[in-house]
Amino acid sequence: MKVFIEPENKEIKLTGKTKTVLGLLNKLNLRPTQALVIRNGQLLTPDRRLYPDDNIIIRPVISRG
Amino acid sequence: MKCRRCKKQAVVALPGHNTAFCAECYLLFFKRQVEKAIKDHKLLTQKDKILVAISGGKDSLALAWQLANLGYDVTGLHIDLAIPGSSEQARELTTSFCKNFNIELKILEIKNEGLAIPEVKKRIRRPICSVCGQIKRYFFNKFALDHGFTVLATGHNLDDEVARLFSNTLRWDTAHLSDQGPLLPAENGFVRKVKPLYRLTEFETANLCYLVGIEYGFAPCPYSTGASFTYYKRLLEELEFKQPGRKLQFYEGFLNRGQKGFKLLEQKQGQELTPCPECGYPTSEELCGICRIKKVMEKI
Ligand code: SF4
Ligand SMILES: [Zn+2]
Ligand SMILES: [Zn+2]
Repeated sequence: MKVFIEPENKEIKLTGKTKTVLGLLNKLNLRPTQALVIRNGQLLTPDRRLYPDDNIIIRPVISRG
Repeated sequence: MKCRRCKKQAVVALPGHNTAFCAECYLLFFKRQVEKAIKDHKLLTQKDKILVAISGGKDSLALAWQLANLGYDVTGLHIDLAIPGSSEQARELTTSFCKNFNIELKILEIKNEGLAIPEVKKRIRRPICSVCGQIKRYFFNKFALDHGFTVLATGHNLDDEVARLFSNTLRWDTAHLSDQGPLLPAENGFVRKVKPLYRLTEFETANLCYLVGIEYGFAPCPYSTGASFTYYKRLLEELEFKQPGRKLQFYEGFLNRGQKGFKLLEQKQGQELTPCPECGYPTSEELCGICRIKKVMEKI
């Protein structure tokens, strides 16, 4: 699974063990209300399943300045 | 998760409200939160001529969109701060947003006032964000009064408000506790100010922008230090995670039960304001803060 973290679009690759959005957020040290999780233009809630060939965008919501 | 209203696949989960929504029902939820804020605190009427402060960030764009969508008379004002690396993008995003959604936009160039922020930063020794905030407040207020707007609306969200309340409380800053809230009534020299998004979190405005297709700015201002408020926001987000809904309860509780006491206290010891002799802006000093900054900038 490929994960792109905005705003820098930093790419990280994850292997098999991350099975849900919540698991992914935990791995990134984010609470579910700290980022949007997007797959194919769709927002995902924390309970959604993830698959090995997914491309996921993480958009943190905290605004600065 | 299923949408609470229509049972379709949910796209936004809101632990603070113990609920989840599909895209369509989420937009309805958002609208109702704004309507509730407006109604509970009598923030706006359909007769108001509303000036919306638009920075180009998600909150101010979401606010302008929602108010226009509710049929209010809305004009945007963007202040171009002339900060390299962020002002250009902010201005472009604001301009294209207003074009896309058919919202009238005015742009005020701060360099025309002799107050380009990088220049001010060189000459004024106070922390730049505090000076910059003061300059923005001044010109939003002045523009509204000079152009016949009845109210100024800003995109402050629940996270901004709770972080500020938390900070004011830690310092027991009675002056700020006495008037923090979604409504500041008009007073001599000050236009009425409202914060219709105060019930909505940063997460909620980000979701709205995504679902409506509002593009907003990520490029942080190069002068942003991510100081105390960012830290408080993180603390409060942890609290909210453990106790969902706590932020809104804390803030509403303050408005309903906490604030009155501070108001009474300040009536007794508050500072008297008089109009600035140069520009008319209310001030507790001889010359208002902005006219003093201008004097420093004019010296060569
Ligand atoms: S981060 Fe500071 S200097 Fe930059 S726009 Fe915000 S208030 Fe102004
Ligand atoms: Zn629904
Ligand atoms: Zn003045």
